[in-house]
Amino acid sequence: MHTWMIRLRRQAPLSQLLMWIYAVLSVYPLLWMVFYSLKDNNEIFVTNPFGPPLSPRFENYSTAWHSFQVPVYFLNSVLVSAATVAGAIVLSVMFAYAAARMRWRFRETARMYMVVGLFIPVQVILLPLAVLMRDIHLANSLLSLIVPYIAFNLSFATLVFYGFFRTIPFELEESACMDGASIYRTFWSIMLPIVRPAIATMIIFVFLSAWNEFPLALILISKEELKTLPLGLLFFQGQFTTDWGAMGAVMTMASLPTVLLYVFFSEKVESALTVGSAVKG
Amino acid sequence: MNKFLGNRAAVAVFILPALLLYSVIVFWPLLQTLYRSLFQWDGLNPGTFLFLDNYKELFQDELFRTSVYNGLIFAVIIAVFQIGVGTLLAFGVADAYVKGRKWLRISFFIPVVLSVTVVCQLWMAVYNGEYGLLNRLFQAFGMSYRQDWLSDPDKAIYAIAMVNAWHFMGYHFALLFAAVKSIPEHFLEAARIDGASKWKAHWLITVPLLRETYRFCLVLAVTGGLSAFAQMFIMTGGGPGTSTYTLTYLMYRSAFRINEFGYGSASAVVLVIECLIVTLLINRLVARDRIVY
Repeated sequence: MHTWMIRLRRQAPLSQLLMWIYAVLSVYPLLWMVFYSLKDNNEIFVTNPFGPPLSPRFENYSTAWHSFQVPVYFLNSVLVSAATVAGAIVLSVMFAYAAARMRWRFRETARMYMVVGLFIPVQVILLPLAVLMRDIHLANSLLSLIVPYIAFNLSFATLVFYGFFRTIPFELEESACMDGASIYRTFWSIMLPIVRPAIATMIIFVFLSAWNEFPLALILISKEELKTLPLGLLFFQGQFTTDWGAMGAVMTMASLPTVLLYVFFSEKVESALTVGSAVKG
Repeated sequence: MNKFLGNRAAVAVFILPALLLYSVIVFWPLLQTLYRSLFQWDGLNPGTFLFLDNYKELFQDELFRTSVYNGLIFAVIIAVFQIGVGTLLAFGVADAYVKGRKWLRISFFIPVVLSVTVVCQLWMAVYNGEYGLLNRLFQAFGMSYRQDWLSDPDKAIYAIAMVNAWHFMGYHFALLFAAVKSIPEHFLEAARIDGASKWKAHWLITVPLLRETYRFCLVLAVTGGLSAFAQMFIMTGGGPGTSTYTLTYLMYRSAFRINEFGYGSASAVVLVIECLIVTLLINRLVARDRIVY
């Protein structure tokens, strides 16, 4: 065989072409959205439906930002996500430490009880949760989202941290104990720094799931000033049917934080979101 | 040392906050769902005990059959698309000769980080009967094929399933790609030396080694498909008519539109059982020995 033929076969032009076609399928709808967020209706519908905007209309963004509750939704999303990340990580790191390192009765039972949560789809407990939130008067405050979001992330986060804590040699605690450190001190100054990579992973995971969460928000929040972005966005649908540009601008703004996070830390985000396959399997 | 790691007060401090929150917010409502599915209940008043009547009614409900059927269609479409395309792309990108692998990976994965609301609204624009991207594309290629994709009761469920398939393909790709990369190269090389083509070698060597990953992907895609809700809620509202109902949608409608919390809970319980059965089946059919290289 000629060398060029070997090279051609190795480079497999057909399969490369197909991969790039799927890449376009995957990204172009998003580009199209960004494009039309910068156009007016005439350009979207008639003159230039596919390409980049000929004269970008950035005023679509200011229209969207000022005339609707976008800033409020944004702030709510930020608050809810931040509080969820903090709460879920603190609680699950503590639980996982006790389950992986300390010695107590029912340790395995407690751990398995926590693991069961992985197999409970959110949808199944929506109804009683809505009733519960109403009965304890949390409904219609941001806490009615933060508290369930934390609880829902616990099973998974404890499992990941548990796996990390198990890999640390017990000599560390022995020497800390000999040196007279308390258990709290050992946890705080010795164990936490060691699991820092796992904490970083879980911050990304919990943040993304809280930022994008939809069904719980739909059921637990009805006040306009408490809506998060995924929920608030939904109700533009009716108001904005006539102004595609502004709608596109709102959608682009709502996606920006997670897309940027992904573009800058792509490998971290991928491994954070797929860390489940290693532990759930 | 035993006293150090067996410090009861410390154990309590570490575990109680998480245990309490989890019990109240996750576990207790689960038991409530089971219990309330035996009642006629409006969510406020004490309710009447019916035992299994909700379930009897459910199994005779035309809407229930539609919902289960749609859940199955949804699950099959997303599982086949996401795992099939994900596998092919993972094999392709794993090849060191491919140029721009980083960009390919980023392109495949980027929809995963978007919220379901953005994705659904974007695709409503794509599917739009008059100005949508899809119809405009057909038009641009000179075809007069025009469709109002989401308004056709026979097609809507497929159109919606494709949105989910597109949204999360990258997730399965990333799982499969990581697994493919972890297989030692000499496995494939051996097959290549014996004369197998690249794709044949992948089919004979790589696919069987990915069993663990496939099991996980399948459980994820199928249970996700069976419990689909947000896409229907946002894109079609269960319609046209009731053609895109799923079990979760049925539950939502029963509880929040017609105040039948008991009936809604019963459909939630059926959903859990359905998910449990398929998970067990998948675990049975896809052997579960862990492979260590």
